[in-house]
Amino acid sequence: MKKLKQIFLLVSISILSFTCADHVDYEPIEGYAITADVYFQNESDYEAALIGTYDVLQWLYLNSLIGDIASDNSLCGGESATDVIGLQQIDDMTHYPNNDNLRSIWQWLYEGVNRANYMEENKSLLDFEAKNALYGEVYFLRAYYYFELVKFFGDVPLFVDGRLTAADAGTLSRTPKEEVYAQIEVDLQNAISSLPNSQSQLGRVNKYTANALLGKVLLYQDKFSEAAVAFDQVIGVYSLVADYGSQFLSFGENGPESVFEIQYTNTSNWYDWGCPQCSEGNFGIIHNGPRGWDGPEYAQGWSFNVPVNSHYESFEEGDIRRDASILDMVAYATATGANYTEGYEHTGYYNNKYIPRAGQSGAQTELNYLNNYRAIRYADVLLMAAEANNRGGISDALAQQYLNEVRMRAFGDTDHDITATGTALTDAIWAERNFELSMEGHRFFDLVRTNKAASTINGFVEGKHEVFPIPQAEIDISGLTQNPGY
Amino acid sequence: MKVSFLSLCLLLGTMFSNIQSQSISGNVKDANSIPIAGVNISVDNSNNGAVTDYDGNFSISNVSSDSNLIFSYLGYQPYSVTVGIQTDISVVMQEDLSELDEIVVIGYGSQKLSDISGAVSTVSSSAIEAIKPVRIEDALQGQASGINIISSGSPGSKPTVLIRGITSYAGNSPLVVIDGVSQSIDDLNSLNPSDIKSVNVLKDAALASIYGVKGGSGVIVVTTKSGERNSETSFNFSTSVGNQSVVKMIDVLNASEYAGILNEASMAAGEGLIYPNLSGIGKGTNWQEQIINDAAIVNHSITASGGSDKTSFYVSAGYLGQDGVVGPSDKSFFNRTNFTSNINTDLTKKTKLIINTNYTNIKGKGLPENGINSVLSNSLNFDPTVNPYENGSFGTSETITQEIINPLAQIDNTYNEGNTNKLTGKIELQHNLLDNLKVTSRFGYTFVDIYNKNFIPLAFYGAGHNATNANEDLSPIVSVDAEGTIVSTHNRISESKTNYFNYTFETYANYDFTIQEDHNFQTVLGFSIGENKGENISAYNEDVPFNSWAYADISAATGNATQQTSGSWQYVGRNVSYFSRLLYDFDQKYYFSFTGRVDGSTSFGANNKFGFFPSASLGWVISKEDFFEDAPLDYLKFRASYGSLGNDNINPQFALISTFPSYTFDGSIINGSALGSVPNEAVSWENQVQMNFGIDTRLFDNKLSVTVDYFKKTVDDLLFSPNLSLYLGTPSFPTTNIGKTQSTGIDASLSYNTTIGKDFNISTNVNFTTSDNEVLAINNGDKFIWGAGYGIPYTPIVRFEEGYSPGYFFGYKTDGIFQNQSEVNSHATQNGAAPGDIRFTDVNGDGVIDDNDRTEIGDPFADFTIGWNLAIDYKNFDFSVFTYASVGNDIYRAYERNLNYTNRFASTLDRWTGAGTSNFEPRVSFVDSNNNRRASDRYIEDGSYLRIKNIQLGYTFSQSFAEQIGFDEIRAYTQVKNALTITEYSGYDPEISNGGVLNTGIDIGTYPQPRIWSMGLNIKF
Repeated sequence: MKKLKQIFLLVSISILSFTCADHVDYEPIEGYAITADVYFQNESDYEAALIGTYDVLQWLYLNSLIGDIASDNSLCGGESATDVIGLQQIDDMTHYPNNDNLRSIWQWLYEGVNRANYMEENKSLLDFEAKNALYGEVYFLRAYYYFELVKFFGDVPLFVDGRLTAADAGTLSRTPKEEVYAQIEVDLQNAISSLPNSQSQLGRVNKYTANALLGKVLLYQDKFSEAAVAFDQVIGVYSLVADYGSQFLSFGENGPESVFEIQYTNTSNWYDWGCPQCSEGNFGIIHNGPRGWDGPEYAQGWSFNVPVNSHYESFEEGDIRRDASILDMVAYATATGANYTEGYEHTGYYNNKYIPRAGQSGAQTELNYLNNYRAIRYADVLLMAAEANNRGGISDALAQQYLNEVRMRAFGDTDHDITATGTALTDAIWAERNFELSMEGHRFFDLVRTNKAASTINGFVEGKHEVFPIPQAEIDISGLTQNPGY
Repeated sequence: MKVSFLSLCLLLGTMFSNIQSQSISGNVKDANSIPIAGVNISVDNSNNGAVTDYDGNFSISNVSSDSNLIFSYLGYQPYSVTVGIQTDISVVMQEDLSELDEIVVIGYGSQKLSDISGAVSTVSSSAIEAIKPVRIEDALQGQASGINIISSGSPGSKPTVLIRGITSYAGNSPLVVIDGVSQSIDDLNSLNPSDIKSVNVLKDAALASIYGVKGGSGVIVVTTKSGERNSETSFNFSTSVGNQSVVKMIDVLNASEYAGILNEASMAAGEGLIYPNLSGIGKGTNWQEQIINDAAIVNHSITASGGSDKTSFYVSAGYLGQDGVVGPSDKSFFNRTNFTSNINTDLTKKTKLIINTNYTNIKGKGLPENGINSVLSNSLNFDPTVNPYENGSFGTSETITQEIINPLAQIDNTYNEGNTNKLTGKIELQHNLLDNLKVTSRFGYTFVDIYNKNFIPLAFYGAGHNATNANEDLSPIVSVDAEGTIVSTHNRISESKTNYFNYTFETYANYDFTIQEDHNFQTVLGFSIGENKGENISAYNEDVPFNSWAYADISAATGNATQQTSGSWQYVGRNVSYFSRLLYDFDQKYYFSFTGRVDGSTSFGANNKFGFFPSASLGWVISKEDFFEDAPLDYLKFRASYGSLGNDNINPQFALISTFPSYTFDGSIINGSALGSVPNEAVSWENQVQMNFGIDTRLFDNKLSVTVDYFKKTVDDLLFSPNLSLYLGTPSFPTTNIGKTQSTGIDASLSYNTTIGKDFNISTNVNFTTSDNEVLAINNGDKFIWGAGYGIPYTPIVRFEEGYSPGYFFGYKTDGIFQNQSEVNSHATQNGAAPGDIRFTDVNGDGVIDDNDRTEIGDPFADFTIGWNLAIDYKNFDFSVFTYASVGNDIYRAYERNLNYTNRFASTLDRWTGAGTSNFEPRVSFVDSNNNRRASDRYIEDGSYLRIKNIQLGYTFSQSFAEQIGFDEIRAYTQVKNALTITEYSGYDPEISNGGVLNTGIDIGTYPQPRIWSMGLNIKF
């Protein structure tokens, strides 16, 4: 009886003392979950996180689609006037802050930024030999994502130190694009100083890739002499392929002209319609395909991003780039007996560079196309270098040389060489960009940065459409300011 | 007033004698001669008093001989005696059995119903016995006000239980407390209802806040039976057998009608006739009749209970076997076996040990339910021109090549089994430190072991059908893929084991005391610590020998290393709580209570580990006031309570690494990593504030009693996955406290008991439940969250949206049928519309019918529900009827697959075929250019119903007869469940529960509740 009382007392005391707040602490390891705080333990973890940072590149199919659809070169197309309404509105310059596609671009680019920042946050945890070079790739990628953000949206929130948490939601505001550009330049300079001249694996960026992007970023800011210096590093490292069209075929991928190429493959059959861009294939490709296709060589698609006749007709006689860039469907069907159906805004033309080709996709045909996206080609570098030399008043001769190197390949002779100088040469370089880089997703941004958009694109309002609207959801959640006019 | 002659004499005696003081001692026992400890003894007109000790003894000094001693003890009738010349007083107290004096277990203590100033509903064992439910929740439907139960007819399935409305998106399941041990609503599947003594539902903050963060959705307190001290062992055997049958079939097209409609639809689309010759097609196959069958239900239990002076026991064994009404009994059943043992013994004079143990085994097999791939869905949508069997195998359709299959073939190819072993119980010590200070320490536990096996054989549902994975002879389909590799189809076996172990350890003290005779206090102080743990491991393999269920086991399957896969998961949650309660009353006239609980949980973020949940209540028995004496009411009490509760249906939030990302170098895929989730260290409980006002009253000599409660619940900090700033990228966002909801409603119950003549007893009660729910805020950017949906492609239909009732139906409004082209032209632009198509309402008036015209089209939750019990006893007969009505609940009819070749609802026969033919049913066409099938109010039906849930007629044989054959009591009865349903709903059953709150009311082929005829026998000996 007495004993029992004592036992009671002892048990109660021991339980009470053990009942402390620790009992309700929880560590993720209890569920065998790996968290951000413990992740970086080996070099391979850094390598994996870098892969994750590259991964977002594969989602950016909309960026290049919009580069054409928003421009004078192509129409949105698709099945009907409401098929991917966000792109239809951008085509018609009627887009407004509620736009699912712009929202995706914004969110995906920031995902890339956050993945890079997460690596930045953990940079000092571990030292290993390849770390410097590895971080060169990280900085390149962050620069690429921020550059796309600035191209699309102008001033954007800038953060570089580490990953964000829920508490950071709604606390950031937009940073003037000059400051974002400055950060991009810093990242690229860091990349250039730490990246190797060449990489063992195709698809990895090297020092020249970073120089090329730096030159482009500088050109977008009209910093011509600095741009020319950056491009100088790249000139001669790459070369133009002889057969212009071949570089857009699967065997032409990662060729001598490829400076920066976003990699895709059809070797994984994984797909998820809930996240179509998440597969290892290029989701952009199916958009450009002929509708209701029944014929050789090509494969069925959704008839978006259809080139217009005026663009097709604008090519000079003898320019081999026209047919490599634009598929004249009427002629092709007549020649091969192929059948297709006409989609919305049917023009009779298709984007021949990024078109579904039979047998090049994987299990889920729409989502597993292998086509890489040639983000920066050497021809582009030459034309940008030409522009920098010309507009920067450095050397029109050098500008002509770079320009004519590109034209030489297009026409196969020197008869088409340009001899103009000054602003006439500038105009020639700009015109040349539209032929050389036709349907590669650069046109809209070239028109904007050269102040030609308003005069070229129907519905383009100066002072408004140079940038796209900040997604309405971000305005609502984060309280960001909107771009003018929206 | 009745004054006994004896007391009159005593009174006179004292008048003549000198008034003197004396010491008195005595003893208090109950009717079973068991001493009662803790009985309050007060001496009237003085501050003097005493409390009985553990042996029921007491002594009081300085008592004048003319004073009265008043004995009071919870649950017993007060007893008063005049002291007179006695010095040794023995008192036998009688249990107080009147309804209002019923003892209600309220969590860490109990209270007389009449003393409660919160809101509680009680269901007694007699009510449970009258219904004889498979699961105890079924006995709560309509029996307790404030609770809404939505059941399914599927054997053993868990109903949706809502106590006072829907306040949360994260979970609305009430806490279940069985014999003091906190458990979940899932644990009610293992209780044999006949072992249950009472069920109390704690509805408001005053009562539920003793359970703090877990009490936000109400608390169901279950008390199981126990034996009585000093009683002979009595046995109770009960048995029943019944037959279940489906009463209503859904009217779909027969073969001829189907063929005719298909011809018309094909022609309308510019294609040829499907059935050039309609003659001779006949009625074809009624697939529903093929798969719906009568099924058995049996229920046996035997209990023994009794006790010595130191120990009491209750042991029982029960078996329930319920077969499904869909498919044969070897493919669909729920068999439950229970063994329960409740032992209560005195270790010492002051220490009691209680050991409750319940072992349950559940075996079951099931067929696909509630979905496009369910057997019922297939029977409604499959081609009626196909014969059930052809050439010794199952009939197949040449035209239906997706999802929908011959339901008989589906049943034949469905192989699974589940086996659950469950051990629950508690070990409890009660120690009386003082006569009125009791310390209770209890360890409660639940251990569950679940085994599941599932076999997907090679099956043939027709050439080219997407469910077919074998050739017609059931050999694997072998093909060569794009890379030249030979691939083959396989059968597939999966096995899984899941374990749960939950425990709570609680120690608390109850101290009851009285100050100055009228100030009564009941206090509790304690703590609770617990852990819930679960883990699962599963394995899969292919190539089971002979494609046979007999060999279906991982160990027998011959798949190679790449075909074998495995998976596992685990979780753990812990909590620590401290709680206290003070109950006070003055003279049982004025009541006050204060309750508080501090809860800590692993679910909460690091910055918010502990929450405090207080509540208070007031009660006033006006009928005890002097001024009330002439009022026409026998009893009147006001109650009011206010307090806060929580809801912790969240998981800890961390920055987890995802290894999903990958990129391609050198043309090959390399796996990478990225942050998969954003942490939220501030996440906390949903903070719920509840208010309750209630009135209890009795009239007509206490024959009629009425209880009405009004409540208002407001939930701040509702837990959601929000849309955080998009610049955080794409990781999954953590659950965050960002919403607000409000529920208001009225619960009422009314009961009337009377005896007419000598033998005729009538008792009846009505329970009324209503709640009005509204989402006040969702700060996630979109201001809404999609709930459930249906169909292929999946169409979401339910929304949880700011400004609306939670879980309402969202879609297009229809406005009849376009009768001619000019009507089409004059309407807002509606792409693809033609005469005969549905005219959708241009809700926003922008001249275009598009997604922005979708709006609220229905609400699946009832405006109110009513349960009505009627029990009549006449001599040896007893008769009871229970009727339940649900009014204003909408149903979204979603069981139609709507493919060109799937069968259709019979209303298609009244379709539009030309101007003026129909304004409800659109034309049929293989090309639905108007998308008539889009989610619209066309599929909304009024699901209101009135159902006679239960009728029971019993006869108790005369005692002499029973004793003649050696028994104490024999009662035979017959029972009909779901005897009659009055509804305008066209489907099987207007009561639609798919398990979750936010998919209530979507009829994706709901499992009907069968009508059950049964006969049974109860024997006591």
